[in-house]
Amino acid sequence: MSKANRVMISTATSSQIDSLVADLAPVRRAKARTGLLVVAAATLLAFAVTAPIFGLRPDVAALHPSEIVLLRSGALLLMGVAAAWAVIASSSPGVGSRRDGWRWTVAAALLFPVTSLALVLGGTPFPTWIFSASSAAWCLGISLTSALAIGSALTAWLRRGAVTEPDRAGWLTGLAAGALGTFVYNLGCSSSSVHYAALWYGLAVVISAVVGRLVVPRNLRW
Amino acid sequence: MRPDDTTMSALMGKAQSGDAEAYRAVLDYSRTWLAGFYRGRIDPAGADDLVQETLMSVHAKRATYDPSRPFLPWLAAIARYRWVDRLRRNYRRAESELDETLSEGDHEAEVIARISIDRMLARLSEGQAEAIRLVKIEGLTIAEASGRTGQSESLVKVNIHRGLKKLAANVESE
Repeated sequence: MSKANRVMISTATSSQIDSLVADLAPVRRAKARTGLLVVAAATLLAFAVTAPIFGLRPDVAALHPSEIVLLRSGALLLMGVAAAWAVIASSSPGVGSRRDGWRWTVAAALLFPVTSLALVLGGTPFPTWIFSASSAAWCLGISLTSALAIGSALTAWLRRGAVTEPDRAGWLTGLAAGALGTFVYNLGCSSSSVHYAALWYGLAVVISAVVGRLVVPRNLRW
Repeated sequence: MRPDDTTMSALMGKAQSGDAEAYRAVLDYSRTWLAGFYRGRIDPAGADDLVQETLMSVHAKRATYDPSRPFLPWLAAIARYRWVDRLRRNYRRAESELDETLSEGDHEAEVIARISIDRMLARLSEGQAEAIRLVKIEGLTIAEASGRTGQSESLVKVNIHRGLKKLAANVESE
């Protein structure tokens, strides 16, 4: 670079720096904790709206949830919180600070389809009624509507941040919203079948993740 | 004397509270650092624009910096994002001679190397990195890059497309 060019660049950026300093105002730091609170509030809101309309499982209403409900609730909650935490942390970027712990929770949630497959391979007949279960539409409808509310709130919060990998943020936002939205539905889901959870819960989470990947990045561009 | 990263974190923390003097120090340091960061990774005329764009982003996104964490990785993530964004906008200009050296030579050299743009390019296949370097950084046409590398024109395009996608997905990777 010539000396003349350097002088021109220096002059241009010096006047820019003057104007940026003149424009300085105190800012409130974007805290990850606030992002998590936003996600928690949206999840609670989805529950508060859907539970009175569609009802809760009797065992959940009696505060004595069955084993399958505890297991799938735990898997969905862990996956949702881990994915939400990973994407919230990415709103304050830093080379070398990417969090990938959420992958383990996805692996844990995959135990449901793996168990379903193992049972079938072991000779247990697959309950084909699951494909035509009338509750499947409700499962997808409630899960994805809740996911939409949670994902919208999370995306709105992320827009204040500095997401440098928007595609990854899209996947994670969709995954978090899908897992938490399906968690909300699972509290009212009458089925206790592991095959049902593997198929319909899995489908709801996958659809939400794909929608997140398609929709969220364009809303996060700087 | 150039401030260390701890000092920069403290200055940026003050800038977030509205301290103009601290903010000016942050921006002055960032300008010098960014000029070195981009040198040789984009044509010199484009580098000036890119430094200014990145400073604008630093200003707009200053609330996202956490003063308890090092400053440089935060600045580098924004700089990388801006660099990839520039390449993706199909930026092409005639280029001058590339300077392959990184300007930093002090005790922070190791940190700088970890967060450099070269580190990102090293994640690409040789064909992808070469296609991006020739077309997106040096400003050659697809046909010229094809002749220079021996790749077919369609392969040059595919390598650029896949390479940019991979760069965008690895902004925060070490």
